[in-house]
Order: sequence, then C-alpha cells, then structure tokens
Amino acid sequence: MRLFENLIKDRLGTISLIVIVVTIVVGIFAPIFAPHDPEEVNMSLRYASSSWDYLLGNDHLGRCILSRIIYGIRPSVLWVLVALFISVLIGAVLGFLAGYFRGKVDATVMRICDTMLSFPGYVMALAVVGILGVGLENILIAFTLIKWAWFARIIRTSVMQFAEKEYVKFAKASGISDVKIIYKHMVPVTFSDIAVISSSSIGSMILQVSGFSFLGLGIQAPNAEWGMMLNEAREVMFTRPELMLAPGLAIIMVVSAFNFFSDALQVAIDPKLITSKNKLQEELTISKIKLQKRWQNNL
Amino acid sequence: MKKRKMFVFLTMLMYLFVLVGCSDGNDAKTVSTNNKKKTELVYASAKDINDMNPHLYGGSMPAQGMVYESLVENTEDGIKPLLAESWEISKDGKVYTFHLREDVKFHDGEPFNAEAVKKNIEAVQNNAEKHSWIKLSTKIESVNIVDAYTVELVLSEAYYPTLVELSMTRPYVFLSPKDFKNGGTKDGVNGFNGTGPYILTKHKTDEYATFKANENYWGGSPEIKKITSKVLPAGETTFLALQKGEVNFVFTDDRGADSLDVEAMNQLVDSGDYQLVRSEPMNTKMIVANSSKSDNPVSETAVREAIWHSIDRETISKDILNGTETVANTLFSPNVNYADVDLKKRGYDLEEAKEILEESGWAAKDGSDVRTKDGKKLAMKLYYDSNSSSQKTQAEFIQASVKEIGIQLEIIGEESTSIANRRSTGDYDLLFNQTWGLAYDPQSTISAFTSEASYLHTTSGIANSDELYKKIDEVMVSPDEKTRKSLYADILTIVHDEAVFIPISNGSVTVVAPKNLKGISFKQTQFELPFELMNFE
Repeated sequence: MRLFENLIKDRLGTISLIVIVVTIVVGIFAPIFAPHDPEEVNMSLRYASSSWDYLLGNDHLGRCILSRIIYGIRPSVLWVLVALFISVLIGAVLGFLAGYFRGKVDATVMRICDTMLSFPGYVMALAVVGILGVGLENILIAFTLIKWAWFARIIRTSVMQFAEKEYVKFAKASGISDVKIIYKHMVPVTFSDIAVISSSSIGSMILQVSGFSFLGLGIQAPNAEWGMMLNEAREVMFTRPELMLAPGLAIIMVVSAFNFFSDALQVAIDPKLITSKNKLQEELTISKIKLQKRWQNNL
Repeated sequence: MKKRKMFVFLTMLMYLFVLVGCSDGNDAKTVSTNNKKKTELVYASAKDINDMNPHLYGGSMPAQGMVYESLVENTEDGIKPLLAESWEISKDGKVYTFHLREDVKFHDGEPFNAEAVKKNIEAVQNNAEKHSWIKLSTKIESVNIVDAYTVELVLSEAYYPTLVELSMTRPYVFLSPKDFKNGGTKDGVNGFNGTGPYILTKHKTDEYATFKANENYWGGSPEIKKITSKVLPAGETTFLALQKGEVNFVFTDDRGADSLDVEAMNQLVDSGDYQLVRSEPMNTKMIVANSSKSDNPVSETAVREAIWHSIDRETISKDILNGTETVANTLFSPNVNYADVDLKKRGYDLEEAKEILEESGWAAKDGSDVRTKDGKKLAMKLYYDSNSSSQKTQAEFIQASVKEIGIQLEIIGEESTSIANRRSTGDYDLLFNQTWGLAYDPQSTISAFTSEASYLHTTSGIANSDELYKKIDEVMVSPDEKTRKSLYADILTIVHDEAVFIPISNGSVTVVAPKNLKGISFKQTQFELPFELMNFE
C-alpha cells in the first residue's frame, strides 16, 4: 500500500498509469469500444477526413482509423506484454537458480546468457523470422528468445545481493528447503527490481515490435497494428501526412506512458530517490540505472 | 534532473545539425542538375539494370532497349524496317531473306553485317532451353550468309509470328561479336556494345548506370545526350528525389509497377515542373491462379470463378487507380489481334460467387468465417509486388471482398524478382501479373502458357490442358488466317472458362517527365521507351 501511496504522489506517474490501464482495458474489450469493424472496407470513404461517424477518418481502403487503432492495441501492446511476461518468467527462473545456487549452475546459465547476449538483438530477431517466416507470433517468439538472457542476468545480480544476507544464511542453517527460501525470502525482496526492469524495457519492446511490423515482418494484413498503419500511411506521406498522426501519436503516448510509469515506479519503490538528503546516494543509483538503460537500449 | 535536460538538449541539437547537413548536400546536387538539365535525363528505377547481356533475361529491358536493336521494328502500323532495310519471305514461308542496312556500326566500331547477324542468332540458338517461351527459337534451322549484307533465315516450318518475334527487345538483338565469350553469349559477355542510340558508359551495381548518346548512330545522334538510371526505392524516396531534382524522369517499370502512387504523381504535375504522359492501354493486369497446385483449393475451377466474381473492378479502377486504368473483363482486351472473341462476362456479384462455392461443396459451417470442404479450409495466398503501392491496396481490397464469400486470403508482398521466380517454379497460389503488351499479345503470351518459365503452372492443372497445348502448337504454324482465328478463339475460350487468368484492369505505361521535355512517345511494348526521340524545348 505504501507503494501505491508513493505512486499517487507522483502526478506524471499517475497519469501514465491511467493511460496504461485505459489502453489495456480498451484493448482487451476492443469489440465494445471500437465504433466499427476494423477490417470493414468501404471504398467510397477512401481517405475521408474525420467525421462524427469516423472520428479519426478513414484509411486507403476506407476503414475506420479509430477502430483500427483500438484493435491495434492488441498486437502492439497486449501481445508485447505477454511476450515480456514470458521472457521475464524464463529470466527470473534461471536468474534465481543461478544467483541462489551459484557454482556450476551459475556458470552454465551465465555462459548461455553470454552466448545469447553476444548477438545483436535485431539480427537475432531477423534470423528467427527468416527461419519461421513472417508473422507477429514469430516476432514475439524471437523477442522472448532474445530478452530472457538479459533479464536472467539482471535478476541474478539482484538475487545475489540478498542470497548472502544473514537471514538467508540463517534460514539455510535451520534446514528450510531451498524452494521455500526462494519463495519466502528471495522473491519478495527482489520483486521490486524485477518490476522496475521489466516496466522499463516494455517501452523499447513496443517500439521494436512496431518497427518490425513497419518493415512488413510482423503482423500481416488485414489485421491492424500501429507499426503497419504507419507503413500504410507512409505511402501517402506527402499527399496525406495527417494519416501518420494517429498511429504515430498512439505509439508515442503508450511508450512514454510506460517509460514515465517505470520512472515513477522506481521512485515509489525506493523513496530514497525523492529525498534530497541522500544526494550522493541518488546520483549513484541514477547513474546505475542509466547505465542499465543504456545497455538495454544498445541491445 | 538538470543533467538529463542538458542531455536531451544536446541530442536535439545534434539532430538539428544532422538535418541541416543533409539538406545542404541535396541543395548542392539540385543546382548541379539544374545547370545541365537541357540534355540529360535521370530516371529512377527500383531495380539495378543488372546483366545487360541481351541474349539472357536478367537485365532491365528499358536499358537493353536503348543499347540494342533488332532486325525489324513492331509499330502501330505493323512491322517496319530497322536494322534490315527490306526482306523477302519465300512462298512456303520457310525462308526469310533480310537485306541489312550498310551504314550500321557497333559501339566498338565493328561493322554490323551478315556475319554479325549469323553469329548472334546462332549464339541465341545455342542456349535454346532459355528461350523456350519464344517459339521462333524452336523453328530456326539455319542462318546463311548470302553476301556481306544479305542474310537468310531458314525455318523448319512456316511460322507466322516470325517477324514479330524478331522485333522483340530480346533475345534476337545484336551484340558486337568481339564481346562474345568462347564464341557465344550464354556464359556471359565481355562488353555491351550494341548498335542502338545509347552506349553504356558506367555501371555501379545497385547505385546507378549511365548511358551516353551514340554520336555515330545510323539514325542520327539523339538529342538527349546522357541518360542515367538511378536505383531508388519506390514510393516517397522517388517522390522526394523528383521534387529535389535528383532524378527528373520516372516510368512504369518492366514488371508493370508504378513507383509513385497516383496522387503523388498528380501533386508533381500540379507543382508545374512535371508532366504526366500515359500510353494507350497496353496490357491486362490480372491475378494468375496456379491450377496445377492440386493440394490447394485454387486448383478448382469453381473457386477461381468465385474469386473472379468477387472482385469489384469498377471500384478498383475508379477509386484505387483514380480512373487511370479501365476495367478488364477478359484476358486480352478486344482490340488485341484475334482477341475479339465472345466470352461470358463474369461481373462483380458476391451472391453468385457464394452460390458457385456452395454448389461445389464448399460449405460455411455455422459461425465460421471460412468455408470448408472435407475438413480443408478455403484458404489461399496472394503474392504482390512490394514495390507497387497500387498492387498492395488492390490485394487488401480483394482480400476484404473474398472474405465476405468465405475465402481466407493471405496477402504477401515480395520483390518482383522473387515473384517471377515463384511463377516459374510454381510455388504460389495466386499472384499479380500482367500480359506482355501489344507486341506480344496474344501470340507470345499464349505460347508462354506452355513455357515453364512463364505460365505452365497456371495452365497445366486445367481439365483439358492437353487439348489446349495442342491448339497452341497448331495456331503458331497455321498459315491460314481463318484457322488461326478460330484456334485463338478456342484457346481464349478454354482459359476463360477455366478462369485461370483473372483480369482486373487494362494497364498502360505512365511517364512523369520534366514539363519542357518533348517527343515523349511509346513503343508497342510496355518494356521500353524511345528515349532517342525525346528532346528538351
């Protein structure tokens, strides 16, 4: 609850959270919120500008842009969240194993991670698409395959910090099983770290998935997806630039909301960051986070 | 926090510098093209000119058309002399005697004479399997030199489209014998010296190729002194390049894809710097169905007919193509030779399409969007050229229409070369294609029904394909006009009834050129343009 109270205090964080929640709800219940069928072609409305019936106008096949944006939330945001969840899950399991048991397990897992991380992310994704063929599910598989290693590594570091704590040693000495220790004593303390790193990487993942769809490697027509809508608008970029606005703004809004939310979450979890007393501490943590972020962006 | 703001500011500043840097470079380019604009054309092309060997098929046809010439020319008024001044045909139609022009030289200074003709035609014949689509290659028995400028072509049997096929951009065009490798051309050539109005001077793969005017051209040196073919991605890149003056000419490429969409072209014309010239309708744009793919629903005539009925050609022509192309209801438009055949018109009628599917056993199970038969889904793939914006829109439009009758159509955009490859290997269900243009229709397009490189996979799955092939063989050698007419009618009826070629619109060649360029005309083929006739005002 303290976490929530802290979050509420940060206005930008609150707004971001509202944007995210609204987006997700609208995405899940797209058929209720969308005014039209997103795939309904109506050539007489080709490139029509906005009207009361079609609030954001119509695209090159006369389809309702608003409905397409709403349905586009599913692949652009919801499926990305699912992929993120899976890769965090894999990363967490392996990270806990490596960080807690150390030794051979750690060495093996970390060498696998090293191998995965030594490939540039985009190239790996392209290779997976090359083998499995184009399609959203393949892009998501590719992302899951690439991202888990990064999560595993971060989570392992976080677990290691706590695995050496006195109370964990004590628990071990008193004969509590490893599973129970991880579940009772490790997961709660590392959970905040996991939340922060996954929320900060969701923004870049949304961008990358949209990027692949923009290139035509992701979801296939006629399904709506923001990156693909941008690509469709690109063809008439100079005659009808306004078509780029809706999908472009949607991506910007959601990605910034996730990024601001992740910042706010960080502050809420670690209130030290907002107090000015521990200036030194703040600088140190921020630069650490920055380093993480930069590394992640390079990925 | 302060540091972060500083960082953002610096990043923005950097972007600004990069942007400014870009526009500077382009401004300089614009100025330089403006200065020497008067005699130079730079055209944008989505593909490299590739291998210019005229006896193979890798090269860009507009570029080959500038460099090489054939014996005769196919014009609106029939076959006219080009490198051959005159010719005689023997009574039995088996021997063609050509009298060559005596003032023609190859770009490398070699004389163009009977010997060069013999060597070139023999080089083509030595690689016969590559040329199976052009039936003349199977009929030539020998090439004999009568005297220095007279050459005799002996055929195994009378073949009426001989002159038409000799007039084509390839393969019966002439390369300096000095460029031959191992006495032939099939293993590549040492140079690209033709007899045409332009000489290839520089070629940087996937960047550009330059051609300069042939000052010693027998028809007089052309007024446009330099032509550059620049490789640019279709769409907004080409549009920007035109606006900036980096290129000043674009035209429909040899695979029928326009690199600009209709509205972008109109915008260029409205700017006052460009003009838009369209040829008469030249070909039929269509969807080709792979009838030989027996494990796919597309091999059923009923399914193909249903697709035919579910395409709203009026809307495609009016809204997607902005009225630039007319509706096509048959494989060849009636003004094509021998194609004025009475065929049943299949209009846009979703109800009838549904009925046809229903009758043939494709049933819509309650609730499901896609019809099934024996547990098989009515699903197909349609391939389109990813460089053509109108094809993509049409594909999406058709996808939405056939969805209503219960067909699941997956659309896939690919490079034109990959599509051509799919056509020849049969690895497709449906794909966008076009007939080959006035000079080739109907005889070459129809003989291509039997050629593996072209439409064999399209036609081989139909019920009476043997009869079709027999008729095609017959029509090409039949000397009697009347028999030919009835045979062509039969052939066109068969492919129409089987609905393997689903016509959409009658396409033409579009040229966007500088406003003050005069003399823009078209040939009988969609594959090349007579650049030598153009000039700046």
